[in-house]
Parts: sequence; C-alpha cells; structure tokens
Amino acid sequence: SPTGDSWGIFTFLCAALCNLPALPALNCSEELGAGQSIQQTYDLTRYLEHQLRTLAGTYLNYLGPPFNEPDFNPPRLARAERVPSATVDLDLWRGLTDNARLAANYRAYSRLLCYLRVLDGQVGTAELRHRLAHFCASLQGLVLSIGGVMSSLGYPLPAGPAAPPAPPGAPAAPNDFLKKMDDFWLLKELQTWLWRSAKDFNRLKKKVPPAVVTLRLEARGF
Amino acid sequence: TQLAHYRTLHNWFFPSLSVSPAADPAVISPQDPTLLIGSSLVATCTVSPDFPLKAEDLYWTLNGRRLPAASYTALGPSTLSVALARLNGSRQQSGDNLVCHSRDGGILAGSCLYVGLPPEKPVNITCWSKNMKDLTCKWAPGTEGETFLHTNYTLKYKRRWYGQDNTCQEYHTAGTYSCHIPKDLALFTPYEIWVEASNRLGVAVSDVVMLDILDVVTTDPPSDVHVSRVGDLEDQLSVRWSSPPALKDFLFQAKYQIQYRVEDSSEWKVGGHRRCRGTARGGRGSGCSHLVPLQVVDDVGNQTSCRLAGLRPGTVYFVQVRCNPFSIYGSKKAGIWSDWSNPTAASTPRSERVAGGCDPKGGEQNTTLRRELKQFFGWVKKHAYGCSNLGIKLYDQWRVWLQKSHKTRNQVGKEP
Repeated sequence: SPTGDSWGIFTFLCAALCNLPALPALNCSEELGAGQSIQQTYDLTRYLEHQLRTLAGTYLNYLGPPFNEPDFNPPRLARAERVPSATVDLDLWRGLTDNARLAANYRAYSRLLCYLRVLDGQVGTAELRHRLAHFCASLQGLVLSIGGVMSSLGYPLPAGPAAPPAPPGAPAAPNDFLKKMDDFWLLKELQTWLWRSAKDFNRLKKKVPPAVVTLRLEARGF
Repeated sequence: TQLAHYRTLHNWFFPSLSVSPAADPAVISPQDPTLLIGSSLVATCTVSPDFPLKAEDLYWTLNGRRLPAASYTALGPSTLSVALARLNGSRQQSGDNLVCHSRDGGILAGSCLYVGLPPEKPVNITCWSKNMKDLTCKWAPGTEGETFLHTNYTLKYKRRWYGQDNTCQEYHTAGTYSCHIPKDLALFTPYEIWVEASNRLGVAVSDVVMLDILDVVTTDPPSDVHVSRVGDLEDQLSVRWSSPPALKDFLFQAKYQIQYRVEDSSEWKVGGHRRCRGTARGGRGSGCSHLVPLQVVDDVGNQTSCRLAGLRPGTVYFVQVRCNPFSIYGSKKAGIWSDWSNPTAASTPRSERVAGGCDPKGGEQNTTLRRELKQFFGWVKKHAYGCSNLGIKLYDQWRVWLQKSHKTRNQVGKEP
C-alpha cells in the first residue's frame, strides 16, 4: 500500500528517538507529524476524487443532457473565472516553493467549498442535497488537513478565511441556463484540482520527512 | 462516461483553450419559462451584434437532441426561431435544456424549460406523538409524485381557536413526505394540521386534519425482553419484558402484544393482550396441529410476562413484544402501537426419550385418538403433579406392544 513506506520510516524514527536515554519522553506522534499529515492529505485527495465521481455523475444527470454527455465542453464565460483554476504552466508548477504550493491548494479548496455550499442550498432533490452535504464535510476536512500541514511546517495560513460570501462584485448567474454552466464548471474545476493536488502532495511527500523533522528537534536543543 | 470526459482534462498543464467572451453571444426568449404539459412554445435566438453570425448559421437542440430544421423560421438576419408543439413533462426537475448553437456546435445561449403540472392536494396525513413530547406527521402527494416540477411541501399547524399558523421546520424525518415538530405542543387542545404543496405552476392545500396530541400517542417498544424455558416443559417458553420507562411519568396503562415465529419460517403468530389471552397453533401438519390456549398473567409490578404454549420441542423461536399506551390521562382511547422490540430467541427443550413427539413417523401418529390422548396427557402434566411418567410415550409403547402381540390373536382380548 502507498502508506506502507511512510509508516515504516515513521515507526523506525519513533523507536530510535524514544530509545535514546538522554532524551526526555517524547510524544512521537506530535513531533513527527508533518510527514504523516502530508500522507493523510494525499490520501484525502484521492478519497475525495473518488467521491466526486459519484457526486458529479448524479449532479450532471440532474442538470440533464447535454451537461451529462461525455464530450460536453461549453464555453467558459468571463463570470466563471471566479472559480479558482487549477490549470497552470508546467515550469511554473515545478518551480513553486512548498509554501506557495500549499497556499494555492488551501486557497482553492476554501473558495470551492464556499461555492459548493451555496449549491447545496439551491439544489432540488433530497438525494443530491444529501450527497453534497457529505462531500462538503469531506472537503472541509481537506482544507483543515492542508492547514495542519502548513502549520506543522511553520507556514502562515493564507489570509482570507475559508468562508467569504459570494463576492459582492460578481453577480449571481442571470439565468438558470447560465447557472447550470457555472455548476458544470465548478465540478470540472474541482476534479482538476483534486488531480493536481495528488501530484502536489506527492511532490511534498518526497521533500519533507524526515529531514525537516530532524532539524526541528535539533533546534529545540536535544 | 463522465470518467472518460474528465480524463480528457488530464493534461491540465496546458491552459484551457476555450474562448472567454466578455458579453453573452446570444439571447434566447423566453428565458426559463414555465409551461403546462401539452402547451406549445415558440422560442427565438438573437445573436449579439458583436458576433459575425447569421440566422442560417444557427441550430437548436433540446436536451442534447437536434431539433428538425423544418421547425425553424428566420425572423431577421440574426434571429432564428423554433416552434415546439405539445410539450411533454420536463425530463429532469432542473428544467429541459433548450440550446441555441452556432454551426460548429458551439453553445451561444440556453434556456431552461419547466414543463409540468400544478400540484395536487396532499392526502393521507397521519401523525403520531412519541410520549406526548413531539409530533411527527407524514402524508402522500396527491398524484403519484409526478408533476415533473420540483414541488415543495410545507406542513402547517395551529391550535384551534388560537389564531397563529406555525410552520414545521424539520422535514424528511420519517420518509420523504414527513415532518417533525419537536416542541412547544400543548396537550388537551385540538390542533389543526394541513400540508401545502407548491411548485412553479401553483399551490394545493390538503384537507385539514384535526387532532389532540393525546389521541395519537405512541411509545418506545418494551425493553429487556427475555425469553426462557419453563423448566423442562418442551412446548412452552416464558417471555418477560419491562415496560418502557416513559410510561412511568405519564399516567397511562399499557397493553402488550407478542409475536413469535419459528426460526425457519417467515410467518409470525400473534399472541394476546396484557393478559396473554389468545390461541396459538403449534407446529405444522406433523401430528402437532392442535389448538392450545396460551398461558397467562404474571403481572409483577413494572415487569410483565407471558407464557407461550403449544410450541414445538427442540425448536428455536424468535419473539418480539410491542406496547400500546391506553387510558392516557383517563381517556378511553387506545394510542398507537409502538415498534416491535428487537427479536429475542430461545429454544424449547427436546427430551432425548421422546421418540414419537412431533416427528412424522407413520400414519398412526395422526389419528384423532392419539391427538386427543396427547392433549390429555399434556393437561395431566400441568394439573396433576406426580403423574410425570404418564405421557404419550407410554401410549406409543403400548401400541407397539399391541402390534407385536397381534400375532397371537387369541391373546388380544385378554390384555388390559
């Protein structure tokens, strides 16, 4: 399993450090949290990606054809830009610092969560509302998880909390059809972000443990 | 199919190639209309002056299917209309998607058509109160649900003669068409309750139901249901339970009902009231089908119990109990039966020595005489202590002996 290696490293480190007689009792799980948190966040994005497939299928069927057709690709109108885009230049993406990488994810999911919650309030069928509510709860978990990783690495959380109301400047969709298009793009962007996040967190996984952990312990004078 | 669709976005490294125009390319009229089933519609698509498209460059689709060109009419250089006749109910509650396209398939504008029927009066409103603390009501939509439009249901209630309407807030607690009122309910006063159904085409109000909370009280099922054997008796089980705790506070009595079934049967048999009156049929066509009255009544304070009789030996039985509050605050009416308690199981003993018993082992087992004898011995066991050796087994042994000595015919008549 993908978690196997990380657990191995984690337990080894824990055992090694806790056995050193000079050290006072360490709470291993707290001190060595960053690597594990990143793995958990990665796992969460995969889980959400899976959940989204079912949610999107149900939702697009609710919108009706052509929204649920496989090759559907409507124009992306200016108004839809308020949904943060995962699409980014490859070199730019590679060059992101850990902080910038995490912050982009944090900001994106906070905004997406907001828009999804608005959707939840408007949607017609009880089944959809139920699925959306469940998905929002999981997405909230992801936002918190990313925040946790940022904190454990010493990065400040991006300004602008997870719940700005619909930006006052941008109008709500002026008609029902345009609203359906907005909903379609919201789901599409969510899907893209989850794919991208898996790659973001994979990259972070390789860079963060255990080097950062060792450094932090040294800094504390042990 | 959605999966394949999303996979095409996997090359997310590259920016989206879609054009993002500043203004809407076209306008459709009417925008998002609501229509009655069977009505007709003429819709127009007018291309914005910024766009170099003409009426002949356009086409229409409805829910993804292209509409025939024969139904189009050019009303101007950049305006194309389409005529839709005898519309069916909307394919999805979010509205039918009527879309105006440019020749290459690109979407210029869309309009959601809501085609359906006004709601019918909701019917069959039934309510119940759990321990007089709350009220839950459910109802049925008038039509079998199919108005094709999203229909909102609102449950309202008010105290008779007291004016103010209240709206129920907690929906779907007992199914789709249900609502729960958790507090602020008065006893000893009639309530008027009704349901309003509304959708884009209209409103319908159910008939008003009048009730007093005390008329529709139900309670929790009995707790601590235990089923145990009655000594060595092979055809009896004793059932014990506790009255639901809520009963203590509310000055009402309770009557109970028991149902039981054999392990491999899906057919429940019901036994009596508080006093366990009633009858039970035991077994199935194997020499055990006889009527036996149920035993009775050990009313021990809070706990109540009952004995099931006429059961098959060596059989596993599942038992459930439920409860009905009655004589609430002195009223004569019964309340509503609670749910059945979770099934409890126990088995009747099977004595090794009983060879005949209820197993089908030959025709003579089914004779009326034998049946009656068995009943007699059963009765003897219960009412005449010290006769435990007497049983149907003895009769069977005598029959066997009789058959053997049948060979020596001249001896039969002399035997006792």
